[in-house]
Amino acid sequence: MNKGHLVKIEKARKNYGSLAALDGLSLTIEPGQFMVLLGPSGSGKSTLIRSLAGIEKIDSGSIFLDKQEVNRGPINVAPEKRNLAMVFQDYALWPHLTAFENVEYALQRRKLSKDISRKRVETALERVGLSTKGKNYPHELSGGEQQRVALARAIVADPALLLFDEPLSNLDADLRERLRIEISTLTREIGATALYITHDQSEAFALADKIGVINHGKLEQVDLPEEIYERPTNRFVANFTGIAGTFTGKVRRVSKTSCIVSLGEDQLKVRHTVGLEVGQSVDVLIRPAATSFKKESENKISSVITDVAYRGRGYEHAIDTKYGSLTGVFDNVSHPRGGRISVSIDPDRCIAFPTESK
Amino acid sequence: MTIFWLVIVSILVLPILLFLAVAFSPKLLDQGPEWFTFNSFKAAADPYFLRSIWHSFVMGVVSSIFATAIALVVAWIVLRTNSAARKAWNLAIFALLLAPSYLIALGWERIFERAGVLNIFGIDLPFVRDLLFGPVGIAMILTFKGIPFAYLVISNAMRGLGEEFEQAVRVHGGSRIAAFKMMSTLLLPALWSGIAIVFAESISDFGVASQLSSPGRYSVATFTLYRSVMSIPVSFPLCAAISIILLGLIVLALFAQSRALRGRSFRVLSGRTRPITRQKLSPLGSVASNASIYVLLILTLGVPVFGAISASMIQGLGTVISNYQINFDNYIRVIKSPLLRSPLLFSAEAALMTATVAVILAAISSRMLVSTKNGPGKKFLDFFLLAAVGLPGIVFAIGYIFAYNLPLAQRYGFHLYGTVALLVLAYIATALPSTTRSLVGNMNQFQESLSEACRVHGSNGIKTWLTVVLPLISRPLLAAWCLTYCGTLLELPVSQILFPPGHAPLAVGIDHALGNYDFGGGTAMEVFAIISALIVVAVAFALYERLAPVGWKQLGRAHQ
Repeated sequence: MNKGHLVKIEKARKNYGSLAALDGLSLTIEPGQFMVLLGPSGSGKSTLIRSLAGIEKIDSGSIFLDKQEVNRGPINVAPEKRNLAMVFQDYALWPHLTAFENVEYALQRRKLSKDISRKRVETALERVGLSTKGKNYPHELSGGEQQRVALARAIVADPALLLFDEPLSNLDADLRERLRIEISTLTREIGATALYITHDQSEAFALADKIGVINHGKLEQVDLPEEIYERPTNRFVANFTGIAGTFTGKVRRVSKTSCIVSLGEDQLKVRHTVGLEVGQSVDVLIRPAATSFKKESENKISSVITDVAYRGRGYEHAIDTKYGSLTGVFDNVSHPRGGRISVSIDPDRCIAFPTESK
Repeated sequence: MTIFWLVIVSILVLPILLFLAVAFSPKLLDQGPEWFTFNSFKAAADPYFLRSIWHSFVMGVVSSIFATAIALVVAWIVLRTNSAARKAWNLAIFALLLAPSYLIALGWERIFERAGVLNIFGIDLPFVRDLLFGPVGIAMILTFKGIPFAYLVISNAMRGLGEEFEQAVRVHGGSRIAAFKMMSTLLLPALWSGIAIVFAESISDFGVASQLSSPGRYSVATFTLYRSVMSIPVSFPLCAAISIILLGLIVLALFAQSRALRGRSFRVLSGRTRPITRQKLSPLGSVASNASIYVLLILTLGVPVFGAISASMIQGLGTVISNYQINFDNYIRVIKSPLLRSPLLFSAEAALMTATVAVILAAISSRMLVSTKNGPGKKFLDFFLLAAVGLPGIVFAIGYIFAYNLPLAQRYGFHLYGTVALLVLAYIATALPSTTRSLVGNMNQFQESLSEACRVHGSNGIKTWLTVVLPLISRPLLAAWCLTYCGTLLELPVSQILFPPGHAPLAVGIDHALGNYDFGGGTAMEVFAIISALIVVAVAFALYERLAPVGWKQLGRAHQ
């Protein structure tokens, strides 16, 4: 198995005019680790992945691949000398080459004999389920097949670093899920270090060994997926990794990890990860998984059902409460629109952050 | 890249800047006593020069309005109706684009001139002849020459204009007239562009001027400029001043275009634009539309082709002898006589070199122009290539004579004046702006990620160019090569002014033959030139089809 690169980015800065795409960002990815960078559009994730690939050059800071400094000041090792491969958002398949030739192209740098080269291309195409499509040109393939060719091209030369630039964003939901599994298994099979960027939190949680949440060119939090979800260090991370809604209230009591928040007539027990004081105004960010229509719960608020959506394994409800609305409240049975019902809030899955001044 | 910039500066930037600078500062380049003066502009304000500039302006306005109006109707017939004539138009448009204006003028001239083709058949139309050799004739040929340019701009816009805009007017209560108004408004940018382009082309044109303009009758600015540079002693400051006024008119047209469109968005092309359904014409409409297209083709191509072919087959045309014979003797003379044959061979060689070098430089330039990096080099190149597109060929040629004849150039070892090398360099420089512009569109379609993918998968910059960039633009490169080859083969203004002694290019050879009243020999050279150009283009594309890898050709087919 291939040993992946140790990737180190130190205080990377990159400006486009007055806009800071990378704002002193530092990140380490261990060899063989699958890191997902999660962030909204314009957060700097594309700039970071392109700088790692060598397509962009950072203005200051440095980038190391293993012990080699590949970018700092005038030093900028050419992309072709970084021993990496990349899956592009638009696939970037060369339209004048067949699927086989596209994959073979990435193998040329290994300078293998023709026979071995052919065998490896065939194996790569087989691994992505396209052994019969080698002679097809890109325009003769479906979107999913094109993305598979791009994936085969990326893995065929056993690169030490695999970069994924939102590779599934142009595919439909079903195909996205199937290809996500292929990316996850193939990358781990070849043992390369991987950096995957996306704005889709479900994709990030499903793929990552570790997740970095990026915003305005800075990393907000880098941690295990579970930690990111359970213990977001700030409001942005919590918000971007999925919430059902937000209530605003005042802190009544505080303990080490939890607090009681008064919302008006009701009180909620919630968690907190930053220091809070009694009387402080807070926003309570509620995860979808925190909500249910369980009867026996203590943390309850009355609500009105405003919408119901059938999701196959059950129903997701949108509700209105006196303190705001919540979406994605799941139940195995459907509750009628306009009906009154109490919603239970799991204290472990809602987090209070100080209210931001507007 | 240093070599590239050296070439661009020395063949494109310096000659033009030095020449234009001399209008203000004759002493700077040893052309007079003043460091800074407007005297040359005062000299250009002489009624003789002013009249010719005014004539050019009038010709530009008339031909641009007529050409754009005709192109709009043709575009509507070709793109929006089921008219049978649209296929003929699609074939003819490229011939019309490639045909130099002087050849179109020559064809008309041969038919209607005194002792011309019609005279030989006993038909004499003196009033048509008078019209042809005056403002009407000049405006007519300039309009013919302008139609394909305006058509390309308007048809591109019309293709992107789906039916839904007109349908939206109708379903919201608008009449047919209101729908047409909406469509015209949406096409305004294209109509303005058409007018500006044809105006600039007409003002810069030397071909029609060289055939139909004359000091006694109706002289236009490019013709006056030519006469000034051919007179002895040459006043380069005066020539530069006239050139600057001419350029000023072109800039004015572009400025008027941008003013007219300022602050208005006409982005109508989107992923949601649906293909239009062609309007089924009534029998009467069908006849009318077909007839108008065929009449237009006859006037723009048919008459000049008939004029050239008939004249080339008549022995003694243009003379007062009475026993005219129709045969192929003129063609045999062109093959046998070095005087008639060598211009064609010389121009073919020069065109081959020019097309090859210009296409290489244009490929690099166009890639730079579409690059996402906005460096000063890109802006500089963009400005000069744009400025050079609007620069009349005759101004370019005079700039070359001036710059490479300067004592400064001689001192630094550039002994290029009066050489074949200077002529070819000037051909390359005049071809580069339009060749680059023709490739920019294709380069723009080229996704940056395709070359990035090459780099991250192990190829260096050169290999990326050779294995991905060039294959993907191979067909447009070949088309650009063919266009440049044909354009250079038949080029007139630069050839006329810069041809070295003993090496007359084709246009000059034709002109000399006609000047010696060898109308048959001159027109036979024309016909040979056009046939040879068609053969070169056919061979080039046949070789491409035979030798290019399947994937390259597959790409072409996929785009159809």
